Amino acid sequence: MRRLIAILIAALAFGALSGFAAYQKVRPQDGGIGDVNWREIAWPFPRDGWPAGRAFRCRAEACGEGIELYVRPKIGFCNCDSGVADDDEVDRVADLDMITQNFAPRAPGGVVRIADMSGRARAYDLDMSDGSHHAAVGIAVAHRCDLLVAVAQGRGTAAEVERAALAFLGAGDMKRWMTAALGGG
Amino acid sequence: MTGRIKLATYLCVSFVACGGFASAQQQLIGAPPEASNMRLVGANDLQARSAYQPTIHHQGDRWIAYIGHHGGTDAVPDPVNPLTGKAEPNGTSVVDVTDPANPRYLRHIPGQEGKYEGGGAQMVRVCDGKTLPKGDRNAVYMLRTFGNEAHEIWNVADPANPVLITRLGGLKDTHKSWWECDTGIAFLVSGAPDWRTRRMTQVYDLSDPAHPIKIRDFGLPGQEPGSTGAVPTEVHGPISTGPQGNRVYFGYGTDKGGLLQIVDRDKLISGPKEPTPDNLRYPEISRLAMSAFNGAHTTFPMLKMPIAEFARDKDGQARDIVMIVDEAILNECGEPRQMVWFADVTVESRPMMISSYTVPEASGSFCERGGRFGSHSSNESMAPVYYKKMAFIAFFNAGVRALDIRDPYHPAEVGYFIPSITASTDKRCVTVDGKDRCKVAIQTNNVETDDRGYIYIVDRANTGLHILELTGDARKAAGLP
Repeated sequence: MRRLIAILIAALAFGALSGFAAYQKVRPQDGGIGDVNWREIAWPFPRDGWPAGRAFRCRAEACGEGIELYVRPKIGFCNCDSGVADDDEVDRVADLDMITQNFAPRAPGGVVRIADMSGRARAYDLDMSDGSHHAAVGIAVAHRCDLLVAVAQGRGTAAEVERAALAFLGAGDMKRWMTAALGGG
Repeated sequence: MTGRIKLATYLCVSFVACGGFASAQQQLIGAPPEASNMRLVGANDLQARSAYQPTIHHQGDRWIAYIGHHGGTDAVPDPVNPLTGKAEPNGTSVVDVTDPANPRYLRHIPGQEGKYEGGGAQMVRVCDGKTLPKGDRNAVYMLRTFGNEAHEIWNVADPANPVLITRLGGLKDTHKSWWECDTGIAFLVSGAPDWRTRRMTQVYDLSDPAHPIKIRDFGLPGQEPGSTGAVPTEVHGPISTGPQGNRVYFGYGTDKGGLLQIVDRDKLISGPKEPTPDNLRYPEISRLAMSAFNGAHTTFPMLKMPIAEFARDKDGQARDIVMIVDEAILNECGEPRQMVWFADVTVESRPMMISSYTVPEASGSFCERGGRFGSHSSNESMAPVYYKKMAFIAFFNAGVRALDIRDPYHPAEVGYFIPSITASTDKRCVTVDGKDRCKVAIQTNNVETDDRGYIYIVDRANTGLHILELTGDARKAAGLP
């Protein structure tokens, strides 16, 4: 009987390890983001209609002052045919409203390509609740009927924020995570 | 038998039984439909086109079903119409259902070229010319979307030979509109090019369908042109109670961030029209914000419902109820459950959710069957046969569900029907490890009823139209003979 119990425990442990391994495939361990300038932090926003994503902070010396980036998939939220078609769509989907309800675009956005997915990025001015002003970039790229959205913000210039965000999202480990998060294997 | 062998045998039997149960939930071609207190009367394959909104219209001595379609599929972008022998982009099916046991397919009116939600002609509403204030008395008008880019009005007095009357084009993301047949006022869901939302409402006077008059654009503050900041959830569809009720119930969101907005119809039509934040707020009476997990696809008003339980109360014996139906959009339970909610809006400034309904997942292992599981829409007919007594909910792979709603504080399922799949039923896929894993299942997308009490359900996965009737306890609950 003891042997049977041992077999059952081993089977359960194997199942748990398999599940853990599958989870790890999508979400690499903290520190495994392949960029020494960026550090993963806790998702800072309350629960909304989409599952929480991943949040990161960049060293001031590397990126500029106080730059944070928030990224998550939105499954089934995209026009399957046209993808991210225009700047209005970036306004709607890019999670800027999680940071503040008061944001205004600085200029028309532009086409971006991240992790083999196409979409758009647009720069914004944010009016924060404490009265300060931040620069931000909203990014939305599409894969089939799904979206991957990111927003980066900081006290530096919009150009600094955008440059840092796009470089980080284009790096190897983040690219792999984003591809897997959208079911790309 | 030793203990070990007994245990091994038990585990083996359990494993096989569980596997067998799971596979038994997969629909098979040739298997009978699953039903309780509902019976199949007739069917039509709708030329294997993915179906959205059905509207059943009593036209002289005939009953005609007008059924909107999504665009075609990757496999068959433009199905062949056997009546013409030509490949035609999905549009509107016109079916004579006078004899519901033998529906006759009369005509297919092609829609916009495009696949899935990128084409077709999803929505349909029908008004008689003799009812519209300035209509041709001999005409019957069908309002439909044309793909995502236009609204069209056709004269379908001869349903086999429809004639295009009017087209309102230059739009995007046209969707679920409402048309008051006694006034001609229409609430057309569209995407206007300069608005920040994918879908908003354009109010039109279509009392003379040949000469549409635009009244105004409407949406939530923050959606209008030139605004900044967060963009509120897009509209999905309104339902008006006309000048008598003087209310329009707008549903925003489909599967997320839902919102019921109660609007004063007269202020909406007659108030200041420039889309400023103040003017957009002016006709609003109140809002009921839902969880971020759920959307408001259909907002179906049932006003002044007598509640038996409250009959002896000195106040509040009758309640104004709005049934809110969410739309599931992801296959195989990939999102929070989308279901049905009942709101008591008697005190309009303080609307409150009072009850909910969903199909128990375990009753059919619906998360494993394939395709979407969850609600999509309800019947929208206000004909006395079912109004305020029975509601029918399209629940994708769980078919149609019949609810006894006489006590909306405690809605109860009294019947269901899940059609059989056929060779035409299209697959639905999810991505697993980067690869598509596909299953075939019914995807009951919409339901409507006619004044005779027949129930019409249509399938998003190309299985066609099924005409049903209630039996047993469900029939008794509806008060039918």
